[in-house]
Amino acid sequence: MPYYLRKRIIDIIISIIMLIFLGLTLLPVGWMIFSSLKSSSDIAIGRVGLSRNLTGQVEVHWDNYVDMWKNVNFGLYLKNSLIICGSTMFLAMILSTLAAYALSRFKFPGSDLFSNTILATQMIPAIMYLIPLYIMFVKFTIMTGIPIKGTYLGLILIYSAFFVPFSIWILRGFFASIPKELEEAARIDGCSPLQVFWYIALPLAKPGIIATGIYLFLQAWDELMFAWVLTNGDTMTIPVGIRLFVGNYQNRFDLMMAAATVATIPVVVLFFMLQKHIVRGLTAGAVKG
Amino acid sequence: MRSQEGIVFLKRPNKKKSLWLRIKQNRIAYYFIAPTALAMLFLHLTPILQGIYMSFLNLNQMTLQYYLLAPFVWFENYYKVLIDPTSPVRIGLFEAVRNTVIYTVVVTMGTLGVGMIVALMVHRKFHGQSLVRALFLFPWIVPTYVTGLLWGVMWLKEGGLVNVLLVDWLHLLPYKPSWLTGVNTIWAIIIPTIWRFWPLSMLMLLAGLQTIPEELYEAADIDGAGPWRKFWMITWPMLRPVWFILILFGLIYNTYSFNIVIMMFGFGAGFPGEWGDLMMTNIFRNSFQLWNFGTGAAASVLLLIVMIMIVNVWFRYFKKTEEMQ
Repeated sequence: MPYYLRKRIIDIIISIIMLIFLGLTLLPVGWMIFSSLKSSSDIAIGRVGLSRNLTGQVEVHWDNYVDMWKNVNFGLYLKNSLIICGSTMFLAMILSTLAAYALSRFKFPGSDLFSNTILATQMIPAIMYLIPLYIMFVKFTIMTGIPIKGTYLGLILIYSAFFVPFSIWILRGFFASIPKELEEAARIDGCSPLQVFWYIALPLAKPGIIATGIYLFLQAWDELMFAWVLTNGDTMTIPVGIRLFVGNYQNRFDLMMAAATVATIPVVVLFFMLQKHIVRGLTAGAVKG
Repeated sequence: MRSQEGIVFLKRPNKKKSLWLRIKQNRIAYYFIAPTALAMLFLHLTPILQGIYMSFLNLNQMTLQYYLLAPFVWFENYYKVLIDPTSPVRIGLFEAVRNTVIYTVVVTMGTLGVGMIVALMVHRKFHGQSLVRALFLFPWIVPTYVTGLLWGVMWLKEGGLVNVLLVDWLHLLPYKPSWLTGVNTIWAIIIPTIWRFWPLSMLMLLAGLQTIPEELYEAADIDGAGPWRKFWMITWPMLRPVWFILILFGLIYNTYSFNIVIMMFGFGAGFPGEWGDLMMTNIFRNSFQLWNFGTGAAASVLLLIVMIMIVNVWFRYFKKTEEMQ
């Protein structure tokens, strides 16, 4: 067999394996959507396909997507998640953009300490913060009467502080990729350092800042442990509230899968809108080593 | 190149400048990091120091109101966690440590392995390349709590996708195993985690693959090296910085894994069982369901110490092998 033919056949075989693997990878997501269209009794008794009604028609339970908002207060949880994650994104991006710019452009006494501390925070288990923060919040409320536990503000502040280190790490790469000469030229033309940051660096780093912000939003969207302990019935986010579909009083796996699908949609939309930027931002740091 | 000498010349006096002058010159940088530093002071440093202090306190539901004035008991919490066989904290602790070790090692290696294979597969030229790459990222976008819930439904004994696939359609097993009880549980938590996280490995490795110069492979072709040899002699060593980072973050994040496991068993309410419980779920249960904050803090301090050691060992190993090359 000639060389190029053999190579072509191997190529096709690899492509087939790849497509099979792609199918297997996407299968769980398909199963989630499929399960969300079943009736709750079908899932309970373990029927694989969709059931048929008396006239022999296949029953697709689109009404699960209507019931999920009534069964538990999912709209509230969605609203809470959007408010908390959105505010976290803005607050954390302001903090991390400033800090990342300072770290990438200035070599100042303490800059190494600061950037090492930022990396070191990634090693600390979240529960080690959570225990003192929980007790601090409870105690603070007892002492002053101002509630923090169970408010938006408490969670927004904590999330912002926690996602800032990683955003700084990504954003630094973006700022480092902007040629310094542009800023130097602006300085010579008489811009103040602040103007250079605002009119030169910020617009150039905008794609990176947006991508990092979206990534941060996704991280906050995914956070469970802090939200579990630090929210109450009114400020619950989706990961906390979604558990209520299955519990002491009911077992609505169908509604839970519908809610899970709904909770995934915003994330998927955001990600695929900005996929290129996010991928570039995440991989830039790793490849440079 | 042309201005290199000039920069060296200009930079040299910098080093002789006093610390005060350097601080003054970079004033703007301090303004820029001030908000972050302030936030980290209040929301990182303060809790951490308190957490370490709390690990020496007898802090539970009764003494919670005393906050930092709760009875100081020295190393009693550590004694309870590490040595005392009768303390309630120890129930299930050994299993949690064992599971965490297995889980972390298998998941880290698994995500790296699957990511590497798929990265090599999509690194070729084919039609619809960018679409396939984007679709492969899909699991990584699904939130981890959804991953836990979803796989909880997929592992169900009757009607769960896994048993339907293995038993009803492919007939690989003679009976339907129950995945969420007994020893199977460890696989029931490992496989979803690998499914969720391998696309990130693929993404990083793919970016690394694209930086490897084609000439290296051409030279190897001339020398008559096969694909296996080319992978181990060129691809894998060239990807060193990538898999160094991936293993480092894999070890950290998987040791602290929480969402997937807690959501899979009883959907946030149940106990993962002796083959599914991890360190984080164990400490979380001890702290926020049994209200033993002191021992919870002690256990997390110990976990942090172990983590620092692991990260150090990995850094050293990496440095040592780097010198050998």
